Amino acid sequence: MVYQPDRSQYPQQRADGSLDIDLESGKYLKLWQGPQHPGITGNMSLELTVCGDEVVEAKTHVGYLHRGFEKLMERRTFIQCFPIVCRICVPEPDFNEYCYAAAVEELAGIQPPERSDWIRTLILEMGRINSYLMFLGGQAGSLGLGVVAQWSTYVRDLMLDRFEELTGARIYHMFILPGGVRGDLPEGFQQRMEETLKEIERTLGDIEDVMFCNAVFKKRTVGLGYIDPALFNPYGVTGPNARAGGVAKDVRRDQPYLIYSQLAFEPIVGQDSDVFARADVRRRDLLLSIDLIRQILAGMPKKGPVMAKIPNVLHWKIPPGETYIRGECSRGEYGYYLVTDGSGYPRRVNVRGPSYTHAVALLERLIVHVNISDVAGLMVSLHTYPPEIER
Amino acid sequence: MSIQDLLSPFTAWKNLFRDPVTIQDPFNDRPGSERYRGFHKNDVASCIGCGTCETICQNAAIDMVVGEGEPTGAGDSGLRPRIDYGRCCWCALCVDICMTGSLTMSNAYTWVERDPDAYRFTPGVDKKSWDNAPLGYQRAESHRLAPTQRVTMGEVAPERRIGSFEEIVQGYGVEQARLEADRCVSCGLCIATCPTHMSIPDYIQSVRDGDYEKGLALLYETNPFSNVCGRVCTHKCETVCAAGHEGEPVAIRWLKRHIVDQLPVEKYRRIIGDPKPPTGKRVAVIGAGPAGLTAAFDLAKMGHSVVVYEAREKPGGMFRYGIPEYRLPYDAMDIDIEIITSMGVEIRCHNRVGTDITMEQLHQEYDAVLLSIGLHLGRSTRIAGSDHKGVAKAVDLLRDIADGKSIDVPKQCVVIGGGNVAMDIARSMARLQKSTQGEIRVTVTALEDLDHFLADPEEVKECGEEGIAILDSRGPQEICLDDQGQIIGLRTWGVESIFDEQGRFAPRYNPEDEQIHPADRVIEAIGQQSDVTLLGEALTEKLAWNRGRIAVDGQGRTSEGWLWAAGDCVNGPDVVHAVADGHRVATDIDLMLQKKR
Amino acid sequence: MKQQQRDKEKLLKAKKSIVEILEVAMEFERTAQVFYAELASRVSKRIRYLVEELAEEEQGHYDRFKKLRDREDLEEQINTLITLPASDGHFSDAVHLPQLGEKPDDQEVLQYALWREHLAIDQYHALAESTAPGPIQDLFLFLVDEETKHKKELEKIYYEVVHSGGV
Repeated sequence: MVYQPDRSQYPQQRADGSLDIDLESGKYLKLWQGPQHPGITGNMSLELTVCGDEVVEAKTHVGYLHRGFEKLMERRTFIQCFPIVCRICVPEPDFNEYCYAAAVEELAGIQPPERSDWIRTLILEMGRINSYLMFLGGQAGSLGLGVVAQWSTYVRDLMLDRFEELTGARIYHMFILPGGVRGDLPEGFQQRMEETLKEIERTLGDIEDVMFCNAVFKKRTVGLGYIDPALFNPYGVTGPNARAGGVAKDVRRDQPYLIYSQLAFEPIVGQDSDVFARADVRRRDLLLSIDLIRQILAGMPKKGPVMAKIPNVLHWKIPPGETYIRGECSRGEYGYYLVTDGSGYPRRVNVRGPSYTHAVALLERLIVHVNISDVAGLMVSLHTYPPEIER
Repeated sequence: MSIQDLLSPFTAWKNLFRDPVTIQDPFNDRPGSERYRGFHKNDVASCIGCGTCETICQNAAIDMVVGEGEPTGAGDSGLRPRIDYGRCCWCALCVDICMTGSLTMSNAYTWVERDPDAYRFTPGVDKKSWDNAPLGYQRAESHRLAPTQRVTMGEVAPERRIGSFEEIVQGYGVEQARLEADRCVSCGLCIATCPTHMSIPDYIQSVRDGDYEKGLALLYETNPFSNVCGRVCTHKCETVCAAGHEGEPVAIRWLKRHIVDQLPVEKYRRIIGDPKPPTGKRVAVIGAGPAGLTAAFDLAKMGHSVVVYEAREKPGGMFRYGIPEYRLPYDAMDIDIEIITSMGVEIRCHNRVGTDITMEQLHQEYDAVLLSIGLHLGRSTRIAGSDHKGVAKAVDLLRDIADGKSIDVPKQCVVIGGGNVAMDIARSMARLQKSTQGEIRVTVTALEDLDHFLADPEEVKECGEEGIAILDSRGPQEICLDDQGQIIGLRTWGVESIFDEQGRFAPRYNPEDEQIHPADRVIEAIGQQSDVTLLGEALTEKLAWNRGRIAVDGQGRTSEGWLWAAGDCVNGPDVVHAVADGHRVATDIDLMLQKKR
Repeated sequence: MKQQQRDKEKLLKAKKSIVEILEVAMEFERTAQVFYAELASRVSKRIRYLVEELAEEEQGHYDRFKKLRDREDLEEQINTLITLPASDGHFSDAVHLPQLGEKPDDQEVLQYALWREHLAIDQYHALAESTAPGPIQDLFLFLVDEETKHKKELEKIYYEVVHSGGV
């Protein structure tokens, strides 16, 4: 049920493919959505050209959140980069910690203990749940369903409590560091985690009732923001955005890292490649994460070290080398490219955040012919976090 | 789309009947979790002000400031971390790296102030409501950001080393040394404690970098006896090493030795540089030990002409004649001495001041005279029988061994004393017994209990490995003789306590606990004093004294303007202290000579 | 001098009043002070501090006993007669000062001083035991305590000087 607008009043394409938009004509209007706007994910802005209530062209503007992490890291020792990286992505910071730690470990030749791999996997799945819960609230909210955000925020807070007791912090956990993790699971963690998971499952049931089995939500999202699977590779579409279009891409299974090869799961796929399908894939992926956490807590070795012996971090030098570490975060493939030159500082760090491809080029393409009121819903459905666009 | 999709959303209304999930009074009902990284706490009493927290902080949120009321002392800089919460990101790396574990975090997470400057505070010094919070982040036991274990030093096995005077400690290889050097956190507490203030963190860095020439240059800036000190220094630096608080201290002494081991002696001179042009001033030094030769080295570098008078056959003083070869090989000390003479220092051995030349002559012939005669006279317990010819003093025997004289090796001997000299003579005797009679029968009796031994713990340990019996808490009472007047043993009483309430030496004996340790020879190693007879009565009377030692001012000058004194004879036994003393008097003598010019 | 010594010995023969005992004790300290003061000029300047300190110490003891004797509140008890204990001989021996050689060293001086303190402790202890509990016994116990403290102090100096532990 793809939306078919009346194209009679649309701008003509010039020979070079650009649009012939004459603002003086009174037919078109420039509108800024963002950088302060509830329908924008994070601090980013869209410069929309609308004709009536339809978007005919959009330009994305980033830079409102630029803190220069990659450059900052070139002036910090390897251990000093550890507290920085989590800030590259606020809702799901742990991927930065993991990718950075794994890259450093590979180049420095450190083998983290097995148990730390299990705890790292646990943390990554906990972070994924949080990220999806935030998404569900945002996706529903962008279409006027405020109550879902309230419920998902509540259960997300419960998960933050678990994070707090495990890592010592709620948002920026700073727990996974080169060599392993900072500490073991606290006493009684498994049981409290199980209670939290049950509460999330219960809430997800409610969300399914009011969001996914909702005529209004379906009316507005089915068919919106369709991504042709043929665009996936040219546009670098990964993660749930791709899986919702029937492509079973999941780094956790395709190139298992940590202990994913020891967990039983299949990538969650959808079919329609529209906003509804993407939301549904994420909801089911969230349920998968709950299952994975249960598998991890049950299968984890009960004893053993969680931190490898590392050299004195105050003057830690790493031999020249380069590596790319990747993993499947809630938004797709996340990766760290790290170059070392034998000194005590990284020579270059490049962060591959999926938001970059999804929120800029892909969004600019998908947004054409979309009704203004659907722009927010479309943008949220791509699940992008601007801080990782502009590391 | 179905009818269900129209009705289903209304199920949200059921939440009307749910209890609210919000916490009514989060300040009281919801404390931070056990590991919460809240506001900092610092146990200022165990904090040593090493500043690793400041170094590791990537936000530059920590400044080391003078902690009000915190005494500065050995191993404590007196500085305490002040944290700026305008910069802090609560990553807790400062807690993780903290060398003593004094810095922790509370689980407190609310703090309201009107004055923004209040958020820059010194935990522990500025009292806060969370200072005694039981919960909060602490570094997990296993979580260390720097290695805590020392790289094991290779040693010759006891069975093999006991047969000869071969050096026991084998020294680090390059890879081992780098690993050990890596453990240093460069806090510099050691520099303050080292009597001669060696640039320890810098030369350790040169080991990490493999830049041994730079390392040697750094060593020679403060110590011309790195071959000696790299082996037998009392390493006070290691006792204050920040790494020693929650792990083993960095093997600073072995790293120093590693640097000198890596360079051939031919390279030394080029690295150290040449002396300044001659000044025409003449200085006499009495005693070619560490203090005298250090001063001679400095003075020669400054361009003065220096003559060292040494009573014995060879230069070296206490370290040649007091320390056995297995701890300090003669070759090693000869390197240091060779460099000193290469700077133009003339050493006249076999020249005893007081007999071969008088103090008065020295006074007349030279612009300045330095007395650095060490502690070569052994003390005696003067218990009954101690004047028997079979009773010897450790220093005398050690000297004879160093001079290569033949020693009348006893079948069974008892050593009185618990210091390093007692260990030295016991182990030397054990080696001689092993090579002459194949069997070791040496007993050491000490007043102190093992917890308060004056000897280094490794000496005690190695004694045990070499089959020497150490009996602690034994007070010597009498040397027992048989009817023919031959020594048959030493009678001792048990020591009940060794120190009084003020921690001063005041042994109390238990006469009931009496033992006789069989021996045909008893060696006293209880203490030493300097032989000041060379001064002559007139000079002795002229000089000011301080409780049995020559009184000197802060620069080592005696009450006689032309005479300085340095080393063990002024400060008591310690090789690196003697080196520091040598530098101090050399500077003062040079100052005086410049004024004279 | 010799005559004086003999008188003192006589003093200590049979029963004595406290004031007399105190006077013997004062004499004991005084002669020691004189001895050390004289010795100071003979020993090497290196160890003169030790002898001078001992002389000063003895002077201090003397002053202390003198004060005690002159105290009016003790006047009544001070004239009480008590039986002298058997160990009294030691004490009067010590009033005679033994020879210490022409050129004693620090260790000898200290050993000698220790031996003297030991005698004094023995004496006062015995005196305390031979009196009934009361202010007089308290006085002797006080003297024992005083001398014990002196001896302990000397022991510490002895160990610090002689048992320096070696290098």
